[in-house]
Amino acid sequence: MSIPFELVITRSFDAPRELIFNAFTQPEHLENWWVTKGFTMKIKKHDLRPGGVLHYRQESPEGHEMWVVFNYQEVVRNEKLAFITSFSDEEAHVIRAPFSEAWPLEILNTFIFTEENGKTTVTMTGAPVNPTEEELETFMTSQEMIRIGYSGIYSLLDEYLDKLK
Amino acid sequence: MNSTMSALAEPNRLHIVELLRDGPLPVGEIAERLGLQQPQASKHLRVLSEAGLVEVHAAANRRIYKLRSKPFQELDHWLGSFRRIWEERFDRLDDYLRELQAGDEKQGESDTE
Repeated sequence: MSIPFELVITRSFDAPRELIFNAFTQPEHLENWWVTKGFTMKIKKHDLRPGGVLHYRQESPEGHEMWVVFNYQEVVRNEKLAFITSFSDEEAHVIRAPFSEAWPLEILNTFIFTEENGKTTVTMTGAPVNPTEEELETFMTSQEMIRIGYSGIYSLLDEYLDKLK
Repeated sequence: MNSTMSALAEPNRLHIVELLRDGPLPVGEIAERLGLQQPQASKHLRVLSEAGLVEVHAAANRRIYKLRSKPFQELDHWLGSFRRIWEERFDRLDDYLRELQAGDEKQGESDTE
């Protein structure tokens, strides 16, 4: 699935990629770092395979709870992980972000793990998912868009917003 | 947000937005600069207008199109929040990996004793 707006974030870690892959995919690890400090995360369901779901509840220090669901798309041990995240209710039904109407309903997160000399680089690509729009089909097959490049759209946006300031 | 993105998913519409960044233009000029037929340009402008990305006003019998900043600011806001969330999350992962590895080293030391 290709989307016109995506954000790529790359980070290097001083750890073997197996450990990092485990940190992303094992509930007992994930609960220790995924949510903001001071929040608690409880994984209610975890099924690590394409088509499988991770469903968790997070609670803020003030006791506000939110549910989140991951829908796994791709799972390649130690190499690649892709899942769609959404806010959800207790039954894992997708809902709008509780804090913003403008937040995308679903976001596809893709992680590529590469290791060199004991250091692992994680390349994360995040993109809102909007599979209902026929136009995205056109977009995906369009050589023109490949020429412009996704990052081009972001710089377009940057320049435009600079002009407004 | 989604309407902004799908409106821009079409290359001609993206080009129109690029063009309008430099200032408002009448439809005829937009069509000419992009090598489009005027009806085709009008159709794309209608989609952009319905998505709230451009607005139109009439001046001396011509329809002048200009960009609206709000949807672009919303998009920028989303991208900014998203980046911040991930930078912070990766910071926590980094700390957690250090903790794990420090634990392993201690374990290793006591094993060799």
